[in-house]
Amino acid sequence: MALVSADTKIAELLNELHQLIKQTQEERSRSEHNLLNIQKTHERMQTENKTSPYYRTKLRGLYTTAKADAEAECGILHRALDKIAEIKSLLEERRIAARMAGVYSDTDPPRKTMRRGVLMTLLQQSAMTLPLWIGKPGESPPPLCGAIPASSDYVAKQGDKVAARVKAVDGDEQWILAEVVSYNHSTNKYEVDDIDEEGKERHTLSRRRIIPLPQWKANPESDPEALFSKDQLVLALYPQTTCFYRALIHTPPHRPQDDYSVLFEDTSYADGYSPPLNVAQRYVVACKENKKK
Amino acid sequence: MSELKDCPPLKYYDFKPVDHVKVCPRYTAVLSRSEDDGIGIEELDTLQLELETLLSSASRRLRALEEQRQILTDWQDKKGDKRFLKLGKDPDLAASSRHSKPKKQKLDGKGSHGPGPGPGRPKSKNIQTKVQDFEFEVDPQEIPRNPKNDAPNRFWASVEPYCADITNEEIRVLDELLKPPEDEAEYYKIPALGKHYSQRWAQEDLLEEQREGARANDKKKSIMGPLSELDAKDVDALLKKSETQHEPPDDGCPFGPLTQRLLQALVEENIISPMEDSPIPDIPGKDDGAGTSPRSQGKAFSVPHTRSLEARIREELVSQGLLESDERQGVGGESEDEVLAELQKRQAELKALTAHNRSRKQELLKLAREEMRKQELRQRVRVADNEVMEAFRRIMAARQKKRTPTKKEKDQAWKALKERESILKLLDG
Repeated sequence: MALVSADTKIAELLNELHQLIKQTQEERSRSEHNLLNIQKTHERMQTENKTSPYYRTKLRGLYTTAKADAEAECGILHRALDKIAEIKSLLEERRIAARMAGVYSDTDPPRKTMRRGVLMTLLQQSAMTLPLWIGKPGESPPPLCGAIPASSDYVAKQGDKVAARVKAVDGDEQWILAEVVSYNHSTNKYEVDDIDEEGKERHTLSRRRIIPLPQWKANPESDPEALFSKDQLVLALYPQTTCFYRALIHTPPHRPQDDYSVLFEDTSYADGYSPPLNVAQRYVVACKENKKK
Repeated sequence: MSELKDCPPLKYYDFKPVDHVKVCPRYTAVLSRSEDDGIGIEELDTLQLELETLLSSASRRLRALEEQRQILTDWQDKKGDKRFLKLGKDPDLAASSRHSKPKKQKLDGKGSHGPGPGPGRPKSKNIQTKVQDFEFEVDPQEIPRNPKNDAPNRFWASVEPYCADITNEEIRVLDELLKPPEDEAEYYKIPALGKHYSQRWAQEDLLEEQREGARANDKKKSIMGPLSELDAKDVDALLKKSETQHEPPDDGCPFGPLTQRLLQALVEENIISPMEDSPIPDIPGKDDGAGTSPRSQGKAFSVPHTRSLEARIREELVSQGLLESDERQGVGGESEDEVLAELQKRQAELKALTAHNRSRKQELLKLAREEMRKQELRQRVRVADNEVMEAFRRIMAARQKKRTPTKKEKDQAWKALKERESILKLLDG
């Protein structure tokens, strides 16, 4: 029954989202006129090659109006995005609850039987839809946005994706992509599931061996300081795997939807690094250790 | 030039909104739907991306607008103040930016006329650099919240005990330290000399053997009967005999060491002196006696009062200045005992060290008392300072009210000043 009520709740939220999107468009068309006006004024000022007091006063008025419009537009877009996040967290809750109960819904087939290709697509999609952090002017990005690490006392929540350092069967240590199952406050240890072999392998790891993945993408256009910079050493998820390896940033993303281009440490290449490969912001985290693996 | 100065450094940004029909197809599709159709869960991801694009563009526009508006406002203010303020405000920066940037912008505008994609590119780049500039300006305000550093506090806390005032408690501790410890005498005791280890061991060995023998006898008793008892008696007798035989060599000579030395010295002198001078016939005989003396004949002539003779000789030697009085006191001529010598040496060291420590402690106590006295004076100086300040304030207040200070106030001020002076003199003296 809980599932049904969650369904109706989600339906409600979707409806609200629809409203918000419509409002957004109203807001946008309203401001469009003013922006067009600004553009025209710009053109005229540039052709006349002179800024008369009249134009200046006019432009100032236009700018002020446009600014208020932009603020309103930002506000409503934020609300729409929050709504989406709310719906998504509800869906995620439902997924975890279903998994706990051992029941799998049709939309979420058992992962054990999931083919590798499907898993990879899923991972890519979750990287794509990682929300973009857009702050108000002057606001600085929060922890877990892009390259900004979590605060030292941060505890990852159930269902959060993390990079986890585990011992493989052959004794080698490896950073794998994992999902948090629980956190024990008295022992400071996480229980995590390997994303690749869910249910099969459950690891209990101290918090030192866990790096939470970013929860927002950093916007290269407004917050470039929240991105890893070129030649910085990072741990990045190797494409088509669920393991993190050491890599150097080749180029940081230029637009919000862009990926990092990174060079993985790879001894099979002459210069010790692979050719540039793309990795999403979500799967690039700071590399803590200094020693070579 | 003047024309350029009149032109505000505007960027003429391209504020054209995102064309959602082209860039955000899902968003456009959702817009055209009726309420009943709604949005599907599977559309959320795409919608999110498109909304983010819109928001990103809107917030960028917001920042740029704010910046441009600020430029216009500033520029107008400056104009209003007839460029008076402008000089006060960063003249260099403003001038350089006004000279370089707008010019380029103008050339751009002239070259390709109109807002085509050409000028659009550099413009958007300008936004980025400008936005960064803007953020750099904001940053310094946020930087000063440094991580807390309590190293200075810790340092001063560690130094505090060395600079703090001396308290009565500390004087008391010093007094306590000056009292001679009760166990001092313990360290100067010389335990009585026990039996020599070789003797003790010999006796122990003997006892051991006796016990062994007794056990053996016990075993034999059944066979030998009364004979064994006889044996035991024999052993005892034997032991006594051997003991008596042992003793003589230990103190074969009844004379004390000083007596012996004196006698030796006298005898040797006789030998060195030429024989002719003292042709005494008795000498060979006497010499014989002396040469074989103590051992064989020690028992033969038992000399009485050897002890008093020894004491008398020492007394004489000491009074003659040939012997130092303490050198052998209480030692009883057994100065060759190296354990004792070491013990005495250490005790002397200890005595010297205690004396030194004591004098230091006394010195310290004296200094501490002196300091206590000064502290008290300093305390009084502080009180006097306050009084002087109080008087000063009162007089100043009076002066502010444009009235001459009363006699009472003056007297008080003088009294406070004099008192302070006298205490300071005391402190210096």
